[in-house]
Amino acid sequence: MPVSDPDFPIIRFTQRRLANGLRVIVAPDRLAPVVAINLWYAVGSRDERPGKTGFAHLFEHFMFQGSAHVAKAEHMAIVQGSGGVCNATTYFDRTNYYDTLPSNQLEVGLWLEADRMATLLDALNQVNLDNQREVVKNEKRQSYDNQPYGAFYERLMAAVFPDGHPYQHTPIGSMADLDAASLDDVREFFRAYYAPDGCVLSIVGDVDEEETFAAAERWFGPIPARTSPPAATMPKVAPHIGREVRETVPDAVPLVRIHFGFRTPPYGSAAFDALEIAGQILAGGKGSRLYRDLVRERRIAQDVTLFSLPLAGGASICAGWATVRPESDPAEVEAAFLAELERIVHEPVSDDELARARALIEAGELSALGRVEEVADRFGQFATLFDRPELINEQLPRYLNVDALAIQAVAADVFRADNRAVITFVPAGGGEAAA
Amino acid sequence: MTGLDILATRPGPAQPRAYHFPAFVRARLANGLTVITAHLPGRPLLAAHLHLEGGAGEEPSEMAGVSALLARALPEGTAHHDAVELVEAGERLGAELHAQVGWETLAVALDVPRRHFGPALALLAEMFLQPSFPGHEVDRLRDERMNDLLQAAAEPRRRVERAFAEAIYAPGVPYARLLGGDELTVPRLTREALVARHARFLDASSATLIVAGDLTGVPVVELAEAHLGEWPGVVRVGAPAVRPRLSDGPGSPRIVVVDRPGAPQSELRIGHVGVPRKIPDFHAVAVMSAILGGLFNSRLQRLLREERGYTYGISAGFDFRRSAGPFAVRSAVQTEVCAAAVMDILAELRRIREAPITADELRAAQDFLIGVFPLRFETAAQVVGAITGLVVHDLPDDELDRYRPAVAALDAGAVLAAALEHIHPDGLSIVMVGDAERVVPDLEAAGMGAIEVVRDGVREPPAGEG
Repeated sequence: MPVSDPDFPIIRFTQRRLANGLRVIVAPDRLAPVVAINLWYAVGSRDERPGKTGFAHLFEHFMFQGSAHVAKAEHMAIVQGSGGVCNATTYFDRTNYYDTLPSNQLEVGLWLEADRMATLLDALNQVNLDNQREVVKNEKRQSYDNQPYGAFYERLMAAVFPDGHPYQHTPIGSMADLDAASLDDVREFFRAYYAPDGCVLSIVGDVDEEETFAAAERWFGPIPARTSPPAATMPKVAPHIGREVRETVPDAVPLVRIHFGFRTPPYGSAAFDALEIAGQILAGGKGSRLYRDLVRERRIAQDVTLFSLPLAGGASICAGWATVRPESDPAEVEAAFLAELERIVHEPVSDDELARARALIEAGELSALGRVEEVADRFGQFATLFDRPELINEQLPRYLNVDALAIQAVAADVFRADNRAVITFVPAGGGEAAA
Repeated sequence: MTGLDILATRPGPAQPRAYHFPAFVRARLANGLTVITAHLPGRPLLAAHLHLEGGAGEEPSEMAGVSALLARALPEGTAHHDAVELVEAGERLGAELHAQVGWETLAVALDVPRRHFGPALALLAEMFLQPSFPGHEVDRLRDERMNDLLQAAAEPRRRVERAFAEAIYAPGVPYARLLGGDELTVPRLTREALVARHARFLDASSATLIVAGDLTGVPVVELAEAHLGEWPGVVRVGAPAVRPRLSDGPGSPRIVVVDRPGAPQSELRIGHVGVPRKIPDFHAVAVMSAILGGLFNSRLQRLLREERGYTYGISAGFDFRRSAGPFAVRSAVQTEVCAAAVMDILAELRRIREAPITADELRAAQDFLIGVFPLRFETAAQVVGAITGLVVHDLPDDELDRYRPAVAALDAGAVLAAALEHIHPDGLSIVMVGDAERVVPDLEAAGMGAIEVVRDGVREPPAGEG
């Protein structure tokens, strides 16, 4: 099925590889005087070894602690002083760094990124390590430990992936492991993963293509490649969990929430595309099946959700939840949730449901591709995970090509009783929740 | 490493490309509805706001939350379609359509690909002008709000915002309430209450439709005339009604700890009643709060995160409303260092008034606010949001183009004057959700005044020293 909106953009870009292995992607877009610079380093929490969890993320914090020509916290200061914004995130498959700047500040952004890629270790010291370790611990406390249901993510990943699998722990990692991190660990990690041949640099926005490639060569060209890059080591994993995992977690929560997790085909596969459309039909907004049945009509759930994470390493996860209304029976909510998943396995979705899902996904993609920061990030993603930046123009047609049969097939494969984790958070102390 | 020497020299900026906030034009329909359009070539995803005067601030206090529930109930049925039909019709257009209420205004918001703008606007008009508020859907939404209040009490960030608003404002001030209503008022919000509340918004002459995006071939004014030109109900043509300014009086400074036993962090708010949006020194306040707690390297962030490691992040700022919204320092700090963090914050709130603003600080804040300006208006929705702000606050059309010169013209004296005028160290309330057993003794030892501890909704008498 072709893209139906004549306004949908085709994003034109050029890709080149520097002699040191750095892949550079440039996509001029002159609409606004803005440029997005994005670096995907091919390292994430999946590359961490036992006893060293959380390290990729802790390392990301060091990237803002200075390098040979940039003082501690000065990266952010220079970007903001240039009228830009920047940040970084660590995920299972990668770590990304991004700066969005007025387009006349392109070179400043490239210089900042090149300086820390080349010379981070020059500025490394124990004071910064200790400080950022505390900051990261506070990040974990704020985002997980002090939030109702905050442990669900860790528990779902641990339940859906087998012991020792790289996806079994989340990027925030273990605080005990962080306590054990040393300066030598940081140095070793940097040398192993932070190098031009482990990175994709994407530049999208109000720039001249040739000048931008020249600038990338100028700033990044002198940085040497790694002598011995670590081999990617994603173990093979069975397509299904092989049993139903059930856990009950007492927590300081007022309402019972039932979390579901399923092992799925990896991000990037056609089956995963179909699973995303299934997720839209099942839980994507107020027209979706789960919302209509559990929230609107039967009124047994306060809210429902279902989504899949974009993990490319051999398998991924589809996760969802239903928050149980106080007067409702959690068992009934669980059964109703699973019954909707069962129904999509056995009955084809209607043409109208499919058309609505496609229209929403098309509008969502139109929104995403209207922002230079998102376009640059997608180039990094597609180039890093699949070696195919051209997927930026293929993703929407792939979604639109998903048909009712493909949805049924992936649903039958994923939504199986022997492939699910059901983790139920219940109010601690027999219904009394903390304030 | 040869070649890397180049990194020793930081490059300068190139010549900046000129930027102006997108031009917009006004039209007025016969019924008094104002239509504002901003043509943004190359932005095929359009955004629209139907802006209505009158928000949650003008509700009677015993009916708090009625406007918010009204906003949630608008898409739940009309004279012609039930809720599911409306939802599905919107989805077929790839439209995102919802209503949202503020303290002073109600907005019905639409994002839709431009080729579907006409039918989507028709849907928006039907939703807003002919809602049926089916009783069984209103009942459900009311139950959901009650459940949401249970959830909010368990979420430190939502719980502390509620306690903070109650602490800084005088009793009875609208801003002290929950926008969505509370446990006492929500059960009163019947279908009849929504119908009565809805009638108060039906004044075309004080309403504005704002549309932005690539409008080539999209006859916005004609479509508005077709779908919103026949406005049933009270239509006042001519000067819009003048609405009274909401009261915004402060309460007495308090220290409140909402107990969350075992909490690893204290979710913290320190502040007082701030200032309205329409003040002469708005730009100086923006620069001052950027230096204090807006920039990544703000004074607060440098000290509490980068030096002390007490927190993942800390910010300070003013919430600009028509009347005086809150000024707040916001952070989540580790339980063990909570009292020390509070002392550091209080010291910085004194220092912003006492120590000079350095030339570097001033330049960093100005360069950021001026440079980042074009980044704030990349999408049609962002442009509509900014124009809506002009309408809400009755600001001149050139306000946004005046922003950068106004920020550039400030000197350190003007910024310090803004701090002296608008930061009140003697009027601060300190409010947190945290483990009272562990943080209260530390706060007392640090010499804090009388501390109120809230447990399970029960307020204990102040236990600390005065």
